[in-house]
Amino acid sequence: MRRVGVWLFCAILMLVASACSSSPPSSNTGGQATGSAPTPAVEPAKGEPVELVMYSWRPEDKDAYAKFIAEFEKQHANIKVKFKPFKSTEYNTILSNSLTAGTGVDIVQLRPYSGATSIADAGYLLPIDDVKGVQDIPKPYLDSARGTDQKVYGVPLSINSAVIFYNKKILEDNGVQPPQTWDELIQVSQALKAKGIIPIAQAGKAAYLLSIAHSVIGTSAYGGNDYVEKMLSGEANFNDDAFKESIKRMQELTPFFPPDFIGIDDKDAQALFYTGKAAMYINGSYRLETFEKQSPDLPIDILPGLAKEKGGEAPMINWVDGSYGVVKATKHPEEAKIFMEFLASKEFGQMFSDDLSRLSAIAGVVPKHPLVQKMTQLSEKSMAPFLMLVHFGEGTPTTKTTFEDSLQGMYINKLTVDKVAEDTQASADKWFKPKK
Amino acid sequence: MPVMEKTSAAKPKTTKVRRTSWKKHLVHLFLLPALVFYIWFQIYPIFSAFLNSFFAWDGLKRGAFIGLENFVRLFTESPFKETFFRGLGHNVIFFIGIVLTKLVVAFLLALFINSKIRGKEFFKMVIFMPKLLSVIVVGFLFSLILNPTYGALNTFLKFIGLEELARPWLGSPDTALYTIILVNSWYGLGFAVLIFLAGLQAIPTEIYDAAKIDGAFGLTMLWKMTVPLAMPSIMVMTILSFIGAFEAFELIFAMQGSQAGPYFSTDVLATYFYRLAFGSVAGGESIGLGSALAVVLFLMISSATAILLFFFRRKEYEQ
Repeated sequence: MRRVGVWLFCAILMLVASACSSSPPSSNTGGQATGSAPTPAVEPAKGEPVELVMYSWRPEDKDAYAKFIAEFEKQHANIKVKFKPFKSTEYNTILSNSLTAGTGVDIVQLRPYSGATSIADAGYLLPIDDVKGVQDIPKPYLDSARGTDQKVYGVPLSINSAVIFYNKKILEDNGVQPPQTWDELIQVSQALKAKGIIPIAQAGKAAYLLSIAHSVIGTSAYGGNDYVEKMLSGEANFNDDAFKESIKRMQELTPFFPPDFIGIDDKDAQALFYTGKAAMYINGSYRLETFEKQSPDLPIDILPGLAKEKGGEAPMINWVDGSYGVVKATKHPEEAKIFMEFLASKEFGQMFSDDLSRLSAIAGVVPKHPLVQKMTQLSEKSMAPFLMLVHFGEGTPTTKTTFEDSLQGMYINKLTVDKVAEDTQASADKWFKPKK
Repeated sequence: MPVMEKTSAAKPKTTKVRRTSWKKHLVHLFLLPALVFYIWFQIYPIFSAFLNSFFAWDGLKRGAFIGLENFVRLFTESPFKETFFRGLGHNVIFFIGIVLTKLVVAFLLALFINSKIRGKEFFKMVIFMPKLLSVIVVGFLFSLILNPTYGALNTFLKFIGLEELARPWLGSPDTALYTIILVNSWYGLGFAVLIFLAGLQAIPTEIYDAAKIDGAFGLTMLWKMTVPLAMPSIMVMTILSFIGAFEAFELIFAMQGSQAGPYFSTDVLATYFYRLAFGSVAGGESIGLGSALAVVLFLMISSATAILLFFFRRKEYEQ
């Protein structure tokens, strides 16, 4: 009996020792990652495949990625890639936990602009400037994935456009033309509402949807790129009448959104649109694939942002939608870089654009989908940035988040238009330094 | 001979003592793995949060030691202070709501089940059943039921002609928090009923018989006999409800997301903590501020629980 006890004691000690020896979470040592040399590549033994784990916030793209990865694995039999997507709204949390723990993931999808910069600056990523194909990507797109050291830390994935999707048949059947200006949008919405149709399928439960809609509706109200330049140089701010006008527009649209839209999810709003209950839907161009999957016969067309006057230029609101970067703690940096090379190739860009009906960030990719082609042409004609994401994505909480939450507050009558502008400016004042 | 007897009697006693102590140590050894897990997942994060709260953070990178600055900012700087006190207010409403619904309703249900009725086991099973589900599943189910566009509740209200009662239960700041409190109470009711039932069944029936002889009936009996005698279980449930109300997170997260909308109308300290600490990869000093909030929450819950325990114990002695 005593012998059994001794063996048991030894077994428990071994268990405890093995638990203690596994690397503890390094949440306290986040800073230590900075500056340390990249882990040398561990070449896999012949025939032994290396598995790379890849995080994404796009569960809806799972099937397409299975195809892309199969193509990659055909060319690189020794490298297996495991695509692990998470719910978009929870992705940041999962990503920051994985990065601080330093285990479990090799390739990560990075939020664009300040999202990527903060992770790169914290030392969690490998620079990929030397990866073949990266330097061929247009510079403005690479800027969305740079650290403050100006090195590139991600392969930009796609260019998103914020657009108004509309159901051609509903508009035709009700004898209205697609709106081009703010006044026309109001007239069309009134006409549709009078006929019992929801004019715009907008959801408000997730506040980020409101700032996307604002970028489409409001850019012409505050004066597009000229105003953005003034804001960046400090000549203008969110308290200006021009910007307040853009918020006022959002308020004036309330009767044309679905009833109780602040309580509904984006999926519900999408369903209202693709089932023909709503005539328009405002969101990123990435929803095109969703609609075509859900309702292939839906007669969809798109409109860019609103023009200032009839026949004027309607800006296409663009931003880079994330990039893929290599985690510094990966055990397989060489293999991960080989995968980056694949992501930066025209071959992947074309597949990505064709299969997901999106505009690739890779130079030379020609979209197959006519609507994606239309978006590209409109972007070439006139383009404006998604102001909040591209330039105001910093702070705690970020100015973008503050603006979105304040808009939500406005819709439930807790905040006035002036207070939304005031809160947004107060948030920007804490961190934003105008360019001199 | 007597000496021999003494010796032989003493021998087995020593062996027994040794065996008992050996077994005792073996029990401790078996507890070791659990202790390691407890230290790793419970104690270490508490200390880690304490430590992180004293440092400046730049995104995911820990910076310089800044003492109590994170705490000062949390209570003095906008929008942190407003969000903190709004969350705290919602926690208090949550607690009052739970006490009113879970404690009062559960106690009445326990009295009902404890009385001489048929089908006691069936009632117990029905009341306890929600607790078998995961809280995330409950949150998801109720999100569907309460959906303003196609949810079953509004559809049912419209069907029976009570259309004016149909509303965006989770989409209006007037109803969202109370709706979540009701769902939470529905979910936890069975557990509270079981605790109260155990308390009620421990009361000796002779005491009731004696009270009846003295002329006590109905509400007098309930107020003067049952409630004081069931006080230990009421005490346990009040403390658990307090901890539950100030730790409330999963259900709100499942039903309203980390933004705890609309416009923070269901935001409590735990959802605010989650948002502050983990919500944004780009967020500058989030982890330091989030850790400071976690520490404040920990101190609030532990000290209030200690006060409640002290108060209830004293009340118990008085009785």
